[in-house]
This record gives sequence, structure tokens and C-alpha cells, in this order.
Amino acid sequence: MSECGTPLWPCAMTGAAACLAGFEGISVVIHGSSGCYYYPATLLHAPLHGTFILENEVIFGSGDRLREVICDLSGKGGRIAVITTCVPSALGEDIKSMVDEKDIIIVDSPGFAGEMEAGYRAALAVLSPAIDPERSGINIDGISLSDPFYEGNIQEISRLLHRAGIPVGTVFCRDRAGMAGHASPLTIGTNEDFGSGVGDYVGGTLGIPVLRATCGRLAVAYDGADMDPVLTELDKEEERVIHACDKFLRRYDPPGVAVFAGAAYALFAADTLERYLDAEILAVGTRNDPPAQTGVHCKVEKLAGLGEVGRTITEVAPDLVIGSSFERSLSADRAFVGIIPPLRGQVRLAHPPLAGTSGTLHFVEDVLNACMDKTV
Amino acid sequence: MTLRPSPSNLCRSAGCTLTGALSVTTHVCDAITVVHGPAGCTHHNFSLLHATSLDNDHVSLPPLVSTGLSETDVIFGGEGALDRTLDQVIARDPGAVFVLSTCIVDTIGDDVGMVCGSKAGVPVIVVPTAGFLGGSFQTGVNNALVALAGLAEPATGNGRVNIIGEKNLEYEVDENFAEVSRLLTLLDLSVNVRFVHDVTTRQITSLGAARLNVLRDPSLIPVGEYLRERFGTPYIPGYPVGISGTITFLESVAGACGIDPRHAVEQEITLRQETLDDFADIAGLGVSFFPHPPDPEGGRVAQDIAQALRLDITSSGRPVPVPMTPPIGITGVRRMLHRWRRALHV
Repeated sequence: MSECGTPLWPCAMTGAAACLAGFEGISVVIHGSSGCYYYPATLLHAPLHGTFILENEVIFGSGDRLREVICDLSGKGGRIAVITTCVPSALGEDIKSMVDEKDIIIVDSPGFAGEMEAGYRAALAVLSPAIDPERSGINIDGISLSDPFYEGNIQEISRLLHRAGIPVGTVFCRDRAGMAGHASPLTIGTNEDFGSGVGDYVGGTLGIPVLRATCGRLAVAYDGADMDPVLTELDKEEERVIHACDKFLRRYDPPGVAVFAGAAYALFAADTLERYLDAEILAVGTRNDPPAQTGVHCKVEKLAGLGEVGRTITEVAPDLVIGSSFERSLSADRAFVGIIPPLRGQVRLAHPPLAGTSGTLHFVEDVLNACMDKTV
Repeated sequence: MTLRPSPSNLCRSAGCTLTGALSVTTHVCDAITVVHGPAGCTHHNFSLLHATSLDNDHVSLPPLVSTGLSETDVIFGGEGALDRTLDQVIARDPGAVFVLSTCIVDTIGDDVGMVCGSKAGVPVIVVPTAGFLGGSFQTGVNNALVALAGLAEPATGNGRVNIIGEKNLEYEVDENFAEVSRLLTLLDLSVNVRFVHDVTTRQITSLGAARLNVLRDPSLIPVGEYLRERFGTPYIPGYPVGISGTITFLESVAGACGIDPRHAVEQEITLRQETLDDFADIAGLGVSFFPHPPDPEGGRVAQDIAQALRLDITSSGRPVPVPMTPPIGITGVRRMLHRWRRALHV
């Protein structure tokens, strides 16, 4: 069990907002105080609305205030989604009965209900995503606005599908709202931590071996798919990765690495560094529960508190730390590469991916540069 | 960030007491702050404080611990979770433990004071917060400052000056402090305690020894009044703002401390004129303020500076940036004028 301490991962309310705010045509209302509103608003960089409730609304009921906000949003097109925060949820107000709007989406996802992934899943379930058997293309899932790499992942996987002659189906969760109910029958993933569970899952795209296997399955599962251009690209780019890592190893020892991230990104990072750089993976700490089978040669455990992460870094003394800016702050002069939020204290304008071919190139490039900067 | 629909009542967007109080308590370096509530509340604030400190070139992480209230705790009460967390935290032997509660804790009615009162070994100080149910961000700041003042006792005067209630989330917090220190130095005064900015619990104990308290801004007057009552220390209600603020500030501080300010004022008048001379090249140009100054004082300060430079304020003028809070001292004015010149030369 994770120790009580300083939590490094957002709450369920934020996860629900990350899911719903990704859909164009849904106006997301955080039903709670301004304090609860500000965090998802700053993390997700998406238009969110809030009820900003006050003490008297806790005492006398928040219905009038919620109706006021919904009334302001009604008639502007699209659906309205209300996410409840801790206090309204604990008070047990019947949100549905408070509002006249028939088509309203209500997600009861207070912070105390769990972590970000739980809220994301709860919100997606309320949208009732469904398959349209007639729809062509492949869905992309695993997209969360909280992920610094989500935009790059969409661009990269869309590019690869285009090379294979496959249209993009629904992107979960970054699409028009109506697309959730008309998803294609097949889905590939960019981040299993935020899997949609919609359609038949063909496979992931994190790391070249995983992507290669997914391409193989796609060639069979999707009529008309031409995976050769993608497979050729994979071979060519993997050769570049091998060459760059090989050159690094001619002058430097492989780094000892500690990885901290959501399970999917953490395992991708560990596998990539073991595979191409012969790195020694000293620790893998996941923010969420790791899967039973991890595929890496190291103990993988949930480490979601600052104290646990700090102790682990001190104990294993890695050359390279993979994580968020929290880990960077704990890492003193060690080489660092950021792959999960928050990534504060640096300017980020471009949209690099972690998924797909370019995701691996970007990640390995960052790792080699970080390691060489520290060893020179 | 979209705040639509705009809250009709400004209180709605005034933030929560928890964030305000944390912006104070996390600046006591050897203390630990316990947030009694769900993990998310702590994470949100931890992330915000982390981002702010990185902006200010500090890589340290705020010493925050959550009681991690679960759904079960919300139903059956969270006092047990607080009790266990306090035991863990006290075992680390910090200089003090500050306990802040959240809105959900206030809603379920946990007796935070009772649990904290049962602890011994290190000072365990309850800071009155209850998320948004406790008031606004500023209420949290004021409550925390008053609670932390409890670490100090009346002391023999040391002739120095306390800085009270720096805006620790402000990007220019250290630059503003440096400007006020510069002005105090002109009067041969030095800073006693930055209450509270990167201090230890031991440093706070000398709070009552100062001869004067300088508040960051007038919203802290309740804190100034409390400290005057407790330690008999007079206060200046705010930092010097704008082109004329430094002269008034020097005179007020000197008056409160019984010092002749004439030499310091002469030096400051010279500096002010040199600053205006440095920006003579933009004199007479047309400007408009963008964004519109958020408060009347900010607008007045911007107008004063524009008039001093004979700038023409007109709606068709080129937009020049006006900071959310008025520039502090001549140094702040100079930095703002560099931004104005950049905007005018684009």
C-alpha cells in the first residue's frame, strides 16, 4: 500500500475533466469552489466552466447556482457536463433533479473517489461510447489532456495510420462529442493507462517492438491496410536509434535509471532503455497500479508519494531519472528526462509524441542528450 | 483559462483559504504542513506551489503531507486519519507542524483542534482554513500569519524591521523584497524577519523584537493590527507603489522610527529623475493600458507614470502592459517602463 504522504498524482475530478474537456461540443462545468476549479483549468489548458459555489450554497443548497451557470451555457450548442467535487458529492444533492436540461451529462467524480484514471474512466462511461459497425478507420485511445504528449501522440499515430491508408476513427478523448457514440470497431492505443475499452483492441504504439506487433495485427484485422510503408519506416528509424545508442556506448557506460510515471509510460521507458542502451533499470515506480505482467527485469511498484520517490532515488542512486518535474527537483545533479505531468520550469511549445516511431526517437534523443550533458 | 460564465460575485473567484494559507506555511523551511483532506487537494496545491517556486528559481519541494481522506473516511469521519498522519509527521522531528483543513473536512465536522491538542513533542498549530468554506485566499493568508505569530513571544527590541505577508506566489516576490530592503537601507534600517518567506521556526520567534512592521499591502491590515496588539509594533500598511510611492514610504518609515529622512528622500528624488530621463525617448507617445488595470490603485499608478513621462493616454494609443499588481518602488517602475518601451517600439 502506498504510504500516506505528499501525493504526486491528480484526483478523480481532474481525470473526469481531462476526459470530457477533450470532446469538442461538451461544455464542462466543475461544480464546486473556485479552488477546485483552478487546478484542472491550469493543468488541462482547456476551456472549463465553474459554479464557484460559496458557503451559503452548501448550507441552503447549490441548485440555484448550478441552474444559473447552466442557463448561461444553454442554447450555445453542444451538451453540458457537470462534474461534482467533494462537497457537493458528500452533501448528496440530486443534481439531475436540479436542472431542467434534459441532455445534461452528470459525472459524480469527487476527489475522494480515487485518482485521475478512475475519474477519466467514470466520465467516459457516462458518455456511453458505442461502436458503429459501418464506420471505417481505427480509433485512437489513451489520449488525456493531462498528458504533455497527447497532442504529439495524436499527430504521430494519425500520420502512421495515414501512411498505412487507414482513416482515423474516433480519438478517445479528443474528438467531436458525437464521435464517441460512432466509434470504429477497432482501436489502437497510445497510453494504456487511459484505455477506452471501446472496440476490439489491436494493440499499443509505445515503443518500436510493440508498434511493430500492432502493425502486424492491423494488417490482418483491417481490410485494405498497407502496413509496408510503416514497417519500412520502423526498421529504418530503429536502426537510427541503435546507431545513436551504440555510439553513446562507445564512450560512456550505460546509465543506471530510475523511472517514475504512469504504468504505461514507465514500462515503455524502462523497456526502451534496456533494449537500446543496455541501461540498468534500478527502479520503476508507477503513479497508478502496475499491471501483473510488466516485461521488465526489475521490480515494478506503485510509488505515488513524494517521500517514497525521494527515498528510492536516494537508495538506488541512478545516473538518470525519468519522471516529472517533481522528480527533477528531487534529483539534484542527475540527468533527467520528463515524461509525465507536471513538467514545470521549462518552456514547452512544440508537440512531441511518446507514442509511435517519432515517440521513441524523441525519447531516446532526450535521454542521450541528458546523459551526455551530465557526463561531459 | 476560461472563467466564463463570469462569477457575478467576486468572492466566487477569490480562491480558497487552503491555497492562501499554504502559500505562507510552506515557506517555513523546517516545518511540515499537514493538509487534512483528500489527496487531490494536497496534490493540486503541491503542484501549484512547485510550479511557482520553479518560476522563482527554487528547486525545493514544499513540505506538504496529506491525510489522504478516502470515501470511507468521509462517511465515518477522518479524525483517525489525521491522528495517524500527525504521529508519522511528528516522528520526523520538524520545527513545527501546521495543520490545515479542507472544505470536505468542515462539511463532515471533524474536530481538528481536539486531535491536534492531543499531540506533544513539537508545536502542532491549527491554521483556521476550511477550503472555500473558510473564506477567500486572502483569508487563508491572514489566518496563517496570525497562527504562525503564535510561535513568537514578546521580546526586547532590536531596532530592525519585519516584512509581513510577502506574496509568495508572486513572480517578482524577491525583486520586490530587494526594493523595499534598498529603501530601508537608505534609512540605515535592516530587515529582521521576512514573515513568512523562507524562514525557520527559530527565526519567527524574534518576530516581536522589531521596531516596525511593513505590510505587503493593505489587505494585511488585520494582521498588522494583531501584531501591534500582541507585540506593540506599529506598521506601515503597504509596499511603496508607483513613481511617488517611494518618497512617501521613506517618510512614513522614518516617521514611525523617529529618523530624519531628508538625506534618503534627496537620494530617491535623484534616482526617480534619472529613471524618467532614461525613458525620455518615449515621452509624448500615445498609449492605452492593456489589460485594463484590475484595481483602481493600479490604474492610478499607471496614469501617474504616464503623466510623469508626458505620455498621451488615449483609447487609440498603442497598448502597453500593466501588471496585475502595481509596480513596487522605482525599480518596479523601471522594469515596467522597459516593457512599455518594448511595446511602443514593436
